Amino acid sequence: MVQVIGSVFWLLVIPFCIGLIPANFISKNRKTPGVVLLAGYLFMWAVFEVIAVPAVLWILYDNFLFVLRWFTAAAIFLAALGVWLQFRMGKPRFRLSDILRKKLSMEAKIEWLLFFGFVGFQLYMAVTRTSFDGDDAFYVVHSLMAQQSGAMYRNNPYTGWSTTLDIRHALAVFPIWVAFVAVKADLHATIVSHAIMPLVLIPLTYLIFYEIAKELFTKEIFPSRKENIPVFMIIMGMFQLFGNVSIYTNETFFLTRTWQGKSVVGNFVIPMTFLLILWIYHEKTEKRNREAGLWFLLVCLNITAGFSSSLAVFLLTILLAIMAVCLMVVERDIKIPVKLGLTCIPNAIYVLIYLGLLD
Amino acid sequence: MWGIFLESVVIFQNYIGYHQNKFLFGIYLFFLLYLWLTEKDRRLRALFVYAPTILLVCFFCPLFRKAFVRLLNDAETYYRLLWLLQTSILSAYGAVKLFGSRRWSRIAGLVILCIMIAACGSLVYRSQYITKAENAYHLPGEAVEVAELIDPEEGRVMALVPADLVYYIRQYSSKINTPYGREMLIARWDYYNDMYEAMEEAEIIETASFVGLTRNYGCNYVVLKKDRKIQEPLADYGFALYAQTDHYLIYQDTEIGK
Repeated sequence: MVQVIGSVFWLLVIPFCIGLIPANFISKNRKTPGVVLLAGYLFMWAVFEVIAVPAVLWILYDNFLFVLRWFTAAAIFLAALGVWLQFRMGKPRFRLSDILRKKLSMEAKIEWLLFFGFVGFQLYMAVTRTSFDGDDAFYVVHSLMAQQSGAMYRNNPYTGWSTTLDIRHALAVFPIWVAFVAVKADLHATIVSHAIMPLVLIPLTYLIFYEIAKELFTKEIFPSRKENIPVFMIIMGMFQLFGNVSIYTNETFFLTRTWQGKSVVGNFVIPMTFLLILWIYHEKTEKRNREAGLWFLLVCLNITAGFSSSLAVFLLTILLAIMAVCLMVVERDIKIPVKLGLTCIPNAIYVLIYLGLLD
Repeated sequence: MWGIFLESVVIFQNYIGYHQNKFLFGIYLFFLLYLWLTEKDRRLRALFVYAPTILLVCFFCPLFRKAFVRLLNDAETYYRLLWLLQTSILSAYGAVKLFGSRRWSRIAGLVILCIMIAACGSLVYRSQYITKAENAYHLPGEAVEVAELIDPEEGRVMALVPADLVYYIRQYSSKINTPYGREMLIARWDYYNDMYEAMEEAEIIETASFVGLTRNYGCNYVVLKKDRKIQEPLADYGFALYAQTDHYLIYQDTEIGK
């Protein structure tokens, strides 16, 4: 029971409450519980990265205990701040009746049912099936070492022997966050990785896809929007299920290596980039891209990239650069690459640390 | 440059499952082309038409690959550049745009596309790497059993385990150290470890030198497969049979630390 409460608290309640902070600075029509949760994860992971990386680099002994202490304090403070902001800026808008009141056609209801069947099946398989991956001997053991010995990245995960700092992986502290959840939920880090993380990360990815669909299928161009969105989601579900054309695709990573940072890159960070860029630039009026919360989330996303994998920093920078150039050309606006470039400053700092420590 | 280009082609073919006759990427290319022809919204065109096309060109561009590999000092992860395409999002958007406007075309289109995805793709749960979970750890039951038997209440122990347990033993307890780890099991990494050679490469374990090595590494426990051939019994060298499972014998070195 304690484990369930701990898991729900740290994987749902805390990120949701933290998400209320940036959500208060984005337009009200977009502020749904799902968006708040996504925003919360972005903000929370960015904060975790900012606290954990200095501890990895500069604290030699019990560095995980330092992270445990300081991130607990920071997360609870931010969650409380989010709740306070929510009440200060107006009554909570989330009402169950709002969701139940939405009228759906029989077709849309069947399609949603089918989609939720897909997701339910994927979650069931994630818990009842095990997927062998050699990299677990690295990532999962890093989580376990942090939980059991209180130290991060100071031992070789394969053997347990002391080693020098592995800088390529030490800046991507996703496994340490898994260890944090494991400690807080009083669960073994391997159980958290293999059985708990998919229950959180798979729905989060679908939440991003859903928000992308909502943004793409506007009422003006897609009159059958209510039916189009579940159709989009079913196709997404099918691609995830049948995307295992090789061991390399992001779909394969999504369902077989869900708990690894690199899967978070392909199935959270990159789709989230599309979502944020759509939110910022898709709407015809210029009002949206002035929403401070969205730009803040884009900065958090860049930090989250480094949190999940060092390669993600490069990938995300490439993606944003290409998107920026394309948008600049179609919008004839030179400011777009400048603005998007500024959000990549955390990536530049990351690369400087990475290269500096590599030498 | 031509060689680098061909390397990218091979990476691409491996990524899309070309040699396994998987054509899911064909569906993506179809919808990319469709959006090239039909997408009117200039911002969506930038994100879903121009950006993926530039990415594909970059992927095959030898100069780009050279810069990528040089900067990251890693050629093995180049395929992850293709993750940026987010093929499923673009395909699903293109599909809904193509057949989403009318009810019957939407239903028929959805059914046909789902059949095509199933036919061109590969169900992830049919992967040889996916099996029924034996416990909450999602580790092989016998690996957990062995790890539980040697897991110390305090401090650490050193245990020499067979290759098929190497991946799992430290996922159960990081207090169990090993003389070598997963790095020895990946041939292309080309590591050398004398203990690994004695344990895994020798057809019959040569007991005297083997025990010399386990003591050099400070192994408290040696786990052997029941059918592993060994010249002389470990019991003759100060080891006691500590426990056994269905397939493994766990020996404890009674002389270590003396």
